[in-house]
Amino acid sequence: MKDIIEIRNVTKNYPNMTAVQDVSFSVQEGEVFGILGPNGAGKTTTLEMVEGLKPIDAGSIIVDGLSITSHNQEVKSRIGVQLQSSAFFDGLTLVELLEMFGAMYGREVDAPALLAKVQLTEKSDSMVKELSGGQKQRFSIATALVNDPKILFLDEPTTGLDPQARRNLWDLISEINRTGTTIVLTTHYMDEAEVLCDRIAIMDHANLVALDTTENLLKDSRLVSGIQFRTEPALTADAFKQLPGVRGASGEDGLIHLASGTVEETLPALFELARTGDYTILDLQVKQPTLEDLFLTLTGHALRD
Amino acid sequence: MFARNRQALFFSLFMPLVLMSVFGLIGSGDNLKISVGLVQGLPTQSTQQFIDQIKAVPFFEIHEGSINEELAALDNGDRAVVLNVPDAFIPDVPTSEKRTIQAYTNVGQAQQAEAVISGLQQLLNDANLAAAHAQPIFGIESQTVDANNLKTIDFLLPGLVALSLMQLSIFSVANVFTDYREKGILKRIMATPMRPYQFIMANVITRLIISVIQAAVLVFIGVHVFNAVVVGSYSLVGLEVILGAVMFLGLGFTISGLAKTRDSVPALSNLVVFPMMFFGGVFFPITAMPGWLKIIASFLPISYLSDALRQVMTEGAGFAAIRWDFVGMAVWAVILVGLATLTFSFENRKG
Repeated sequence: MKDIIEIRNVTKNYPNMTAVQDVSFSVQEGEVFGILGPNGAGKTTTLEMVEGLKPIDAGSIIVDGLSITSHNQEVKSRIGVQLQSSAFFDGLTLVELLEMFGAMYGREVDAPALLAKVQLTEKSDSMVKELSGGQKQRFSIATALVNDPKILFLDEPTTGLDPQARRNLWDLISEINRTGTTIVLTTHYMDEAEVLCDRIAIMDHANLVALDTTENLLKDSRLVSGIQFRTEPALTADAFKQLPGVRGASGEDGLIHLASGTVEETLPALFELARTGDYTILDLQVKQPTLEDLFLTLTGHALRD
Repeated sequence: MFARNRQALFFSLFMPLVLMSVFGLIGSGDNLKISVGLVQGLPTQSTQQFIDQIKAVPFFEIHEGSINEELAALDNGDRAVVLNVPDAFIPDVPTSEKRTIQAYTNVGQAQQAEAVISGLQQLLNDANLAAAHAQPIFGIESQTVDANNLKTIDFLLPGLVALSLMQLSIFSVANVFTDYREKGILKRIMATPMRPYQFIMANVITRLIISVIQAAVLVFIGVHVFNAVVVGSYSLVGLEVILGAVMFLGLGFTISGLAKTRDSVPALSNLVVFPMMFFGGVFFPITAMPGWLKIIASFLPISYLSDALRQVMTEGAGFAAIRWDFVGMAVWAVILVGLATLTFSFENRKG
């Protein structure tokens, strides 16, 4: 498959911090590519450099055969962009907004058809402020589709949405992908990445820490099972880091999560520790490996720390 | 889209209109009569004639009643003056006894009361002369000339046009663009192939057209509803409006450029709006200010605009007479547009 985006050794510095450090990867035509990572990992900055919104400090980005630096405007006319904030001009209806966006690309827009695609037909004459969160995101995707883009960029499309609205949006994204549009999205939800993405890049602290197909990542040899439990009285995760087989430990609201490569070694040691210590173990669960566990193994901290 | 921004519409068009209505009604004065209380005793025929003369004065609104009723009305501020005309004030048979009308005047309406009393004095002088069977020797003959009098509304209208252009820059540029930036709308626009200058130019042109329409609406209402008189050339007024609007658009973008968040726009705006509203020759002439303030005031951007508009609209000045105002506006336009270019950005600045 052909690479539609090539990112080579890209770096972005802000005063006092490096947002993206020497990152390289490619996105293939027709796939759904996810950039996964916690807040502040550099996902959005990477995306905005590819979209031509932020200048690159070092390295190069080629989108659909064009350098983003020298063909900024041309690249913008071939891609569709949904930003994290989905605010639009006040006082215009959805149809008027879509027509205005069309004018910015110098083309006529079939606004009713676009609204039908994102299931907002009955809201045609409403204004953006009258829409719910999920509807706003769907409308935002509609504005990103006015120029019939080859690549659609979605920056945290489901952040802040309720489960129903998220699933709804996932269906929409899959459907857009089925018609041949390459999709690049950022997310900090593991389940979202697992459901939607063909390939995933994991970013942490401005660096790319892993990149593979979702399938391969899930059966990564480094990948480990999750052991989850509570203690009475509550302890911190640090108390369990030294157990055999444990590669990472995190705690949230008293719930302790251990990533273990060898569950058969870790569990007896855990019980032994509990028997000699002054606490009991509650709600013990052993889980199938997920991307969350992989992330913990790769970075030593949980995704939403 | 502009028409649906109710706040901007209110401050840039309706507020000047409301001000025009308020000042227009206060200033017009022709429907304001002086309220005169009249208390009379038993009239003689001569007294009756005298009283009829008083009643015939067109700008007196006469209320007749008992002395107690009228003094109570005076206490309430409903009368400017109460005249107590005694019994047989002017006797049918002339006598040498001195008789007087008691006038109670309202301190709060001293000017009006004074006018009534001096009018009365005039009538009494005539009566005195008649009683003495003398002919007046000295007189004054007055003739009315249709002079180019400056009514309040005539003075106010150019100021309000200037004010409305300034308000437009604050409410439909500074507020709106800071909001666009804060909400990421400008960034979204930058994700399309449209270039920043194209977007800005489109907005500037829209607002120039709106400025001209807005000025035209104000002048139209001023002339047709409040009887303002515009003597100068409308095309010169149009030119002033456009140059003034360019200057104020520069101001609007500069404020938006300096404001980090939408919340800091009002503070920054007030800093420039209030001095200009009160010292920029909008409501009262700059010449009425003390020396040092006059000098500062005359350099304000709005001062050049209100002066230029006023000279053309009320005095029919030509281009030559207001060329220095044009220079002043051009200099401010260059300064403000330059500042706007330096400060305004499409992206949120962090921290």
